[in-house]
Amino acid sequence: MSNTGTKRSLSLSTVFTHQTILLLVLVALVLVFGIIEPVFFKLGVLFDVFSIIGEIGIMAMAMTYVISTAGVDLGVGYILQMSAIVFGVTWEASGNLALAIAAALLMGLAGGLFNGLIISRTRIPPLVTTLATMYLYRGISMIIAGTKTFAGFPDAFHKISTTEIFGFLPIQAVYLIVLFLVMDYFYERGSLGRNLKGMGFNENAVIFSGVNTRRIKLGIYTLLGFLCGVAALIYLGRLSAAKTSMGDYMNFEVITAVLLGGTSIMGGVGSMRGTLIGVLIIGVLKKGFTLLNFSGNIYNFTLGIILILSLIIFALEEERKKAVESEVAAT
Amino acid sequence: MKRRRSITREATLALILLIILVFLSLTTSFFSQSGLYSFMLDVSPTIVAAIALGMVIFTGNIDISAGTISGFVAYTAGALVKAGVPMIVFVPAAITVGTLLAGLNGFITVKFKVPSIVVTLAMNMVHIGFYATFLPQSGWIENLGPRFTWFGRGRIFDLIPYTFVVAIVVAVIAMLVMRYSRFGKELYAVGGNRQSAIYSGINPDATVMKVFLVEGFLIGISALLRAMTRNEVMPSVFVGRELFFISAALVGGISIFGGSGKIIGAVMGAALVYLLSIAMIYYGFQDYYQFALQGIIILIAVFITVADFSKIRKRFGRRTRLEVAENE
Repeated sequence: MSNTGTKRSLSLSTVFTHQTILLLVLVALVLVFGIIEPVFFKLGVLFDVFSIIGEIGIMAMAMTYVISTAGVDLGVGYILQMSAIVFGVTWEASGNLALAIAAALLMGLAGGLFNGLIISRTRIPPLVTTLATMYLYRGISMIIAGTKTFAGFPDAFHKISTTEIFGFLPIQAVYLIVLFLVMDYFYERGSLGRNLKGMGFNENAVIFSGVNTRRIKLGIYTLLGFLCGVAALIYLGRLSAAKTSMGDYMNFEVITAVLLGGTSIMGGVGSMRGTLIGVLIIGVLKKGFTLLNFSGNIYNFTLGIILILSLIIFALEEERKKAVESEVAAT
Repeated sequence: MKRRRSITREATLALILLIILVFLSLTTSFFSQSGLYSFMLDVSPTIVAAIALGMVIFTGNIDISAGTISGFVAYTAGALVKAGVPMIVFVPAAITVGTLLAGLNGFITVKFKVPSIVVTLAMNMVHIGFYATFLPQSGWIENLGPRFTWFGRGRIFDLIPYTFVVAIVVAVIAMLVMRYSRFGKELYAVGGNRQSAIYSGINPDATVMKVFLVEGFLIGISALLRAMTRNEVMPSVFVGRELFFISAALVGGISIFGGSGKIIGAVMGAALVYLLSIAMIYYGFQDYYQFALQGIIILIAVFITVADFSKIRKRFGRRTRLEVAENE
C-alpha cells in the first residue's frame, strides 16, 4: 500500500466515523421506505418505530455493557419470554397487577443473576453459559405455560406502552432516551465504562489494577436480566397476549443492534450511541418491511445478513486501523 | 493422574449408559425388536452429527447452524429425487451443499477473525429466513417414494437399520483419523494451544477451514440419514437440531474450550442424550421438557469439564497431609 493511500484513509476515517455512517444509513433507509411507501412519512407512522423498538432497545443497552467485556447473552429473548409468562400466570392466579409486575421483574432478575453467577464464579465462557441457559429458560417458560396463552390484562397495564405524548410520540421513546442517558453516562464518564472496556481488552490487567471484575460481571448480567424483565412488561403492554413464542429470534435482534452500532464482539470497544442508532435502524427496517407487507422471514433473513456484514465490516476496520498504526510506527 | 482421569471420563459415561439401558429395559417396553430398531434409527443421524460438532469443538470453534444446514441438505436431496436424479448423483450433491455451507461459516470465521459462534448464529437466522422466503412451499416436498426411502428404511436381520451401520462406519473412520492422521493431531493442537500449534508448524487458519469442511461433509451424511427415513422433506424440521448435536458432543466429554475429548465420547453422548429423551417420552413428560433438560445437560457437562476438582476436594473432602502442611 502506498503512503498517500494511507493518509487518505486516515482523513476519511476521521470524517466518516462508524456512527456518522450509521446515521447516514438510517436517514437513507427512512428516505427509501418513504419513497416506496409515502405513508411512512406520516408522523404517526414514522414515530411508531419507537413503539416497536422499546423492548429491543432496553435490552440492547444493557447488552452493550455485556458485549464490551467480550461477553454475550444469547438468551435475552427467552428471559423476556419467561418473565412475560410469569406475569401472565401471576395475573391470572391473583388478579393483582402490582404482584404480577413484581413477579415478572423478579423472574428477569433471577434469570440474569443465574447467568451472572455461573459466568463470574466458574470458568465457563459466557457464550456457552448463555447458550445452555437460553434453552433452559425457553424450556422453563414452556413448562410453566404449557400450551396456554395469557391475555385479558387491564387497560391500566397497557397504558405503560400505549400512551402517546403530544398525541404522536410513543412513550417508549421517553423510556429509551432516559435509559440511554443513564447508561451512556456510566459508560462514557464513570470508571465503570472504563473497566467494562478494559475487561474486554485485557481482563487480567483490570484485575491487577485492583478491580473486582467478578462483581462487575455478576452486576452486568443481572442488570441485563432485570432489564429483560422490564422489556417483557413493555412488550406485553402493546401485545394482547403472552405466549411461548414471543422470545424467538429476539436475541438476534438485540445482538445485531449492538454489533451494528460498532461494539466489537471481541470486547474492548463499544458505543452506547452506536447501539441507539443500531436499534433505530432495526426499528425502521421492521416498520418498513411491515408496511411493504414483507413476511417476518424476510426480516429475519435481512437481519442475519446485516449481522454477518457488521461482523465483517468491523473486522476490516480493525485490520485497517492496525495497518495504519504499523505504518505510522514504521515512519 | 491425568491419564487415569481421562480414561474414567469415558468409562463413567459407559456405565451411566448401561444403567439407563438396564433401567429402561426393566421398566418399559424399550428392550424389544421395535424399541431397539427405532432407537438405532433415531440415534444414527445424531451420532454422525455429534462427531461432526465434536471435531469443530476440538479446535475451539462451534457451529450453531448445523441444524439449518441439515435442512438445506435434505431439501437438495428431495428436490433432486423429485427431478428423477439417481441416488449416485443426489447423495454426493446433497452432501456437497452441506460441505459448502459449513465451509462458508469456516471461511468467514477464519478470514475475518470473528468468533464462529456469532457467525453461525447469524447464519442460522439467514438459513431459516431463506427456507421460508426463497424455497417453493418453504422447501416442503412430499411423495418422494421408495427411491428415496429404501435406504433409510432398510434393515439387516429385520433389526439393524442401514443408517445405523453407516453411523458406526463413520464413527470408526473418525476414530482412526483422530488417532493416526496428521489432521487429527492438528485439531487437538489448534484447540489446545494456538500459539504452540503455530510454532510446531501448523497453520491454524487452514486447520479450522478444513475442520469446517469436514464438519459440513458429516452434517450432510447425518441429514441424509434422517431425511431418507421419511417420504417427505421439510427443511424447518431441522431447525433447532443443533441443540442435540452440541449437547451430545459436550456430554461425551469433549471440552468446549477445545483441545480435548474423544470421538467415542461423542458417540456415547449421542446415545445418552437420546436415551434420556426416550425415557422422558416413556414416562409421559411433554415434549417441551426437552429444552430445559438439554439446557441443564449442557450446563452440567460443561461444568464438569471446567470444575477444578482439587479445589472442591480441598473444601469439602479430607485434606491430604501435604495440603494441610501447605496451608500452615
